Amino acid sequence: MKSDKAFGSKLTRRSALTTMVSAAGLAGASTVMPNIARMAHAQGSAPIKLGFQVHRTGIGSAYGRWYERVAVAAIDRINSMGGINGREVEMIAEDDGTDPRRGAEVLERFANLHNCDAVFGPLFSHVVIGSAPRAGELRMPYFVVSEGHHVASGILNRYTLQPGITDVKSQVISMAPFIHDNLGQKITMIFPDFAFGHDHRDFFTAAIEAQGGEVLEWIAIPPTETSFTRYFPNIPRDTDVVYHVMVGPAVLTFVREMGEFFGGQGPQLFGFIDSLEAVDTASPGLEFLEGSYFWEGMPRFAQPDQTPEETAYRTAVGVDDNGASVDDPRDVSTYAHMFGVWETLAIIKQGMEAAGYQGPDDRPSLIEAVEAITEIPLSDDHPQGAKLFNGRTHQVFGHQNISQVVDGRMNRVHQTSIEDTLYEDEVDYTEQSF
Amino acid sequence: MSEQAFVLLLPTDYYILGGVLSVIASIVLISLTPKRFVERMFAPKDLGITAPPEWLKTVTSTLSFLCLMALIVMGAIGPRDPLTNILPLMIWTGWWIVLFSVIGVVGNLWLYLNPWTGPYRLIFGADRPPPAKLPSWLGAWPGLVIFLAFAAFYIVDPAPEDPDRLAVLVASYWFFTFACMAIFGGPAWIAQGEAFSVLFGLIARASPFGDWSRAAVGFPGWGLWSRPPAVGLGVFALAILGVGSFDGLKETFWWMAQIDVNPLEFPGRTAVIGSSIIGLLLATVALVAVFAVVIWMGGVIANPDRPDAARSRFLFLFRTFAPTVLPIALGYHISHFFITFLINGQYLLAAIGDALATGANFLGLGDTRITTGFLNTTDSVRSIWLTQAGFVVAGHILAVLAAHHAALEVFGTRRRAVLSQIPLGIFMVAYTFFGLWLLAAPRGA
Repeated sequence: MKSDKAFGSKLTRRSALTTMVSAAGLAGASTVMPNIARMAHAQGSAPIKLGFQVHRTGIGSAYGRWYERVAVAAIDRINSMGGINGREVEMIAEDDGTDPRRGAEVLERFANLHNCDAVFGPLFSHVVIGSAPRAGELRMPYFVVSEGHHVASGILNRYTLQPGITDVKSQVISMAPFIHDNLGQKITMIFPDFAFGHDHRDFFTAAIEAQGGEVLEWIAIPPTETSFTRYFPNIPRDTDVVYHVMVGPAVLTFVREMGEFFGGQGPQLFGFIDSLEAVDTASPGLEFLEGSYFWEGMPRFAQPDQTPEETAYRTAVGVDDNGASVDDPRDVSTYAHMFGVWETLAIIKQGMEAAGYQGPDDRPSLIEAVEAITEIPLSDDHPQGAKLFNGRTHQVFGHQNISQVVDGRMNRVHQTSIEDTLYEDEVDYTEQSF
Repeated sequence: MSEQAFVLLLPTDYYILGGVLSVIASIVLISLTPKRFVERMFAPKDLGITAPPEWLKTVTSTLSFLCLMALIVMGAIGPRDPLTNILPLMIWTGWWIVLFSVIGVVGNLWLYLNPWTGPYRLIFGADRPPPAKLPSWLGAWPGLVIFLAFAAFYIVDPAPEDPDRLAVLVASYWFFTFACMAIFGGPAWIAQGEAFSVLFGLIARASPFGDWSRAAVGFPGWGLWSRPPAVGLGVFALAILGVGSFDGLKETFWWMAQIDVNPLEFPGRTAVIGSSIIGLLLATVALVAVFAVVIWMGGVIANPDRPDAARSRFLFLFRTFAPTVLPIALGYHISHFFITFLINGQYLLAAIGDALATGANFLGLGDTRITTGFLNTTDSVRSIWLTQAGFVVAGHILAVLAAHHAALEVFGTRRRAVLSQIPLGIFMVAYTFFGLWLLAAPRGA
């Protein structure tokens, strides 16, 4: 906790440019002096360069903005604690335009132009899937923050890891016990008719059946649909729970029309916060969300039992108790996902230190060091909570949260165990050579 | 994405109806207005100031050139993040969004701010006979070709904001233009080949101050009629609107359905390069073609059995009326980029305060975190949407008035002017609907 003063300082784009300058600016805080001295001692060595593949433009830019804010805060914190192996960490951001081909080009720039030691940051699945093969060819450790199942499914490679955020498969299957025990056993699923929705359909159907529940109806909505009322009569009358995962610009329309259809008398509603990430749940027109349940990777609203570690994280990234920017209460963050950037950087630091990382020749050792990580306790490095890393599948597992909307706030009503989120390995990347 | 979700909750059908009715009302009103009143309305008042000395342009243009060179260097060696590096922010937000809009309001600042005429005068003097002559029959067509290439870059290219790529392109365009000026003479190339001098000269005509060829102020758009341009310039004016319209259209669910792309899983710009280029050209050609038919029909309706009316020849009418779409193009531009301006303008201010990316903070803005909170509430999104719609509708109303004024001058009597404007009026109403629909339609990219 000795860097708490660093958390209090305002972290901005400028600090990303000048990590050393900002670390020096903290020298007045006597508690960080030893770290500054340690880093100065290692001055002869060049900084560790981390490439940040960021969705600056394109459809991912709203997420990218928050991912960048968290990355800047996390790297400032790491540097204020003495960097990695006594070396300053320098972040080099490259915009991938939320475009897979552009993502692959960006990886080449990180490897060949910037001589980065590792790359982190992408969220959108198609960018990860498009870029990961290039990371493998370039032998570039590629730490994705995507929550896609693509890493653990085995379609990527040994250089691609997801140690900072759980994947959608474990998120979905871990919802089944709570839904079955508390909300009902007869489910109707409403999802957009493409890969994202199909993943939810397949993972959740299997999981709820394993609990003894059943899915009465799958309602697949064409992605271009912007009016939904005509689909609601297809919801069977004896449905206990509507499980919905709509995304896109029509998501608020969906919520409103569903609310109008049921008039508050219908089945329980369960959704994924992905639908409403960065949207104020207290917005007029969203009254119909009242009482409904959402998965959250990390609860947007500060909970009564919030850990000191999460409090420190909120302060560091400049987010208030409602999950919005401390500078603008309307600027709601992508709170459920962005902790993944913070935790990924902590894992990179841990892996590099365990591997005694010196330079690009040690990249395989870095991968092996991260693969060797298993239990990850709750800490300032991992404010979302304790986790379990699976070195074979390169995927981390952790607690998931279910929150209920009450008076426009989301209150956590359940936290899953890590065991609830586990599934059988689908790949062993450690068998692949470097 | 989030503001789109709120837009879809707004009663945009009613707002669109209101906008369209405003344009219809303005057509009816101007049709009932006596000719002399319209002429008085569009007669500018001379400001009675003498033109600033020519050397002032040389000074400001040379300073602009030096700034541009510094920006190019920063683009090449500065931060790789396009929202931190000052070059892409200055080019796309400062120049393309803000300067374009400002010129549409105050007139042709580009005469002073272009980075070529100053260095040209310093090196070649004012009256140097050029080594080669640009054929006058070429008109502004070279500039139009360059403008369309530019449009393809900013609308289609996968990474127009990439700082060092942009640095190379901006530097290349500067040298290309300067070389053409050296060969064909500065004034000739600026008038016919330098796309942005042509573009801003046209857009400035929509402003209350005209394009500054005369120090006067008047009703916005008075300068549209004063000098009917050559055919190439007329097509250029329509191309500005066509390009702006396609830039909006290509993001809609409707367009994505045409090119078979899932809007919720937009595959990125690299996946749609071919369709975007085809769409851009089709939209521009289609607009020019539809407009030509509309103008031809207006001439036919207004001039039954008037073989003597040389002035009503189709090309003359086309040249006369094409510039009247410029207020629409200006309105679309401001409307289309309004949200980008609100967000990237914050990044631009922060970058200006730290222009050399050294961590400096001259304006004290580097400590302000960028916010997009205004996109997250119904009330602020409604205000933004209505502002955008207001620009679109205002552009159409100004265009309707300017076209009617031009028709009075061309056709002589109010009756014939009104008849001639029936097809154009229908076109304007339809285009208003289209423009407002673009704002309200769900988007996926």
